[in-house]
Amino acid sequence: MGYLFMAYTIIWGLLAGYIFILGKRQKDLKKELQVLEDWNAEK
Amino acid sequence: MKTLLADALTIAGKDLRNEWKSKQTIGMMIIFSSLVILIFSFAFDPTNNTVKAIIPGLIWVITIFAGLLGLNRSFIAENENDSLTGLKVAPIDPSSIFLGKVLTNLVLVTTVQIISIPMLFLLFDYRFHGQIIWFLLIVLIATIGFIVIGTFLAALAANAKNSEMLLPVLLLPLLSPLMIAAVQATRIVLEQEGIADAISWLQLMVGYDLLFFAACFFLFEFLMEGS
Amino acid sequence: MKQPSMLMDRVMYALLVPAMFISLYLIFIWSPIEKQMGASQKIFYFHVGTAWVAFLAFFVVGYYCVLTLKKPTESRFINAGISAEIGVIFTTITLISGMIWGKSAWNTWWTWEPRLVTVLILLFIYIAYLFIRKMDGAWERIAKLSAVFGIIGCINVPIVFMAIRWWNTKLHPVVFGEGKNQSGGGVEPEMLLTLLFSLGTITLLYVFLMRKGIEIEKMRLTVKKAKSKVIEKLAS
Repeated sequence: MGYLFMAYTIIWGLLAGYIFILGKRQKDLKKELQVLEDWNAEK
Repeated sequence: MKTLLADALTIAGKDLRNEWKSKQTIGMMIIFSSLVILIFSFAFDPTNNTVKAIIPGLIWVITIFAGLLGLNRSFIAENENDSLTGLKVAPIDPSSIFLGKVLTNLVLVTTVQIISIPMLFLLFDYRFHGQIIWFLLIVLIATIGFIVIGTFLAALAANAKNSEMLLPVLLLPLLSPLMIAAVQATRIVLEQEGIADAISWLQLMVGYDLLFFAACFFLFEFLMEGS
Repeated sequence: MKQPSMLMDRVMYALLVPAMFISLYLIFIWSPIEKQMGASQKIFYFHVGTAWVAFLAFFVVGYYCVLTLKKPTESRFINAGISAEIGVIFTTITLISGMIWGKSAWNTWWTWEPRLVTVLILLFIYIAYLFIRKMDGAWERIAKLSAVFGIIGCINVPIVFMAIRWWNTKLHPVVFGEGKNQSGGGVEPEMLLTLLFSLGTITLLYVFLMRKGIEIEKMRLTVKKAKSKVIEKLAS
């Protein structure tokens, strides 16, 4: 039973971690894109 | 086809003459393999009888380590004075560059083996019971496979800045089936009279050699394209 | 162009979340507990699913590598890269869940079982592939180099599996032929259904992650373009 818990914790942990990294990447890019677009619009 | 071979021989001849003059790479490889044997004899007590069981593995560890040194040099050395660009623009088939480099590396690694394997047997006081001809055959076939895929990946890795580090990372996972077969076949041939038990490993190695030779031969021109 | 892909994402998300919960329900509550191995056997549903996706992702990488060699386009290059990245995650999950499974079933963390070792070598090949992609230089060049390596790696995987299988038969002939991951002889219909459902769910997850990753990489390209535009403006 302990092994079952351990296995699924690790599986979900890794998946959640990856999705989190993807989300962070997207957020950073969005921010950067926003800044760049503002620059483009300004000048 | 004929010109392909002739060009390959020309390239191999140039490399080997170059090597003969400087003797730098081959010297390093031989010294390095001797040092590896020395370290092994500290790590595994040669007077212990059970150590005899790992001799087939040691042969291949030495070959791969020493071979990596030579493979790393084979394309990096061409980067000096931009001679790789010279090779690329020369009116020859890119595959002949690959063949030439394979030949050069094969000669270098075989030379290292001719010196280091007897030395390993001497220092570990190993007496084998099998027939030497089968042993030589298996070593040769496995070395050809190692050199074919090694030369190809060396050409690939030469594009990176840290190619010396990249090459082993690329090469070792791809070598794993060949090494399993080589170590098992070597063990069987060293310990038994006949080759009957090793024949399926031999088949696997020959299949691996042919398959990867064909794949590398055709894919090599993609490595040489562009700048 | 943007609207249908957004809709597609929504639909996939709407499918994925309930499917995930249903498969969890099936795994933990509905499916019977295996008699010999007990509750730990339930690791197997996700283990098999992730292993399947690990190999699937690899063949997707191989497919896009061949296409890239034929005619390199940015989207093919991106697809291969994202698939490799997801492959790394899934091979890692497969290895870890396989190890825990092994510990609970055979009381050892690692056996030199052909499938387990093939997955390990697969992981190394994926990582090597990602290393090549991290090289600096023009993307067309890297696309070609990584595609060549991807193809060679693809050829290698079946050979690795065969070699290790032979190697193992030489060591312990008994193991040969019997699937270690199957729960013995008879698989109960409930188990089979649960397995198939979780396989489907994880494949769906793979497709979802793939789309997300591609979207992000495309965004990176837009950012790059916007950047060069700004630089141009500043220069003029």
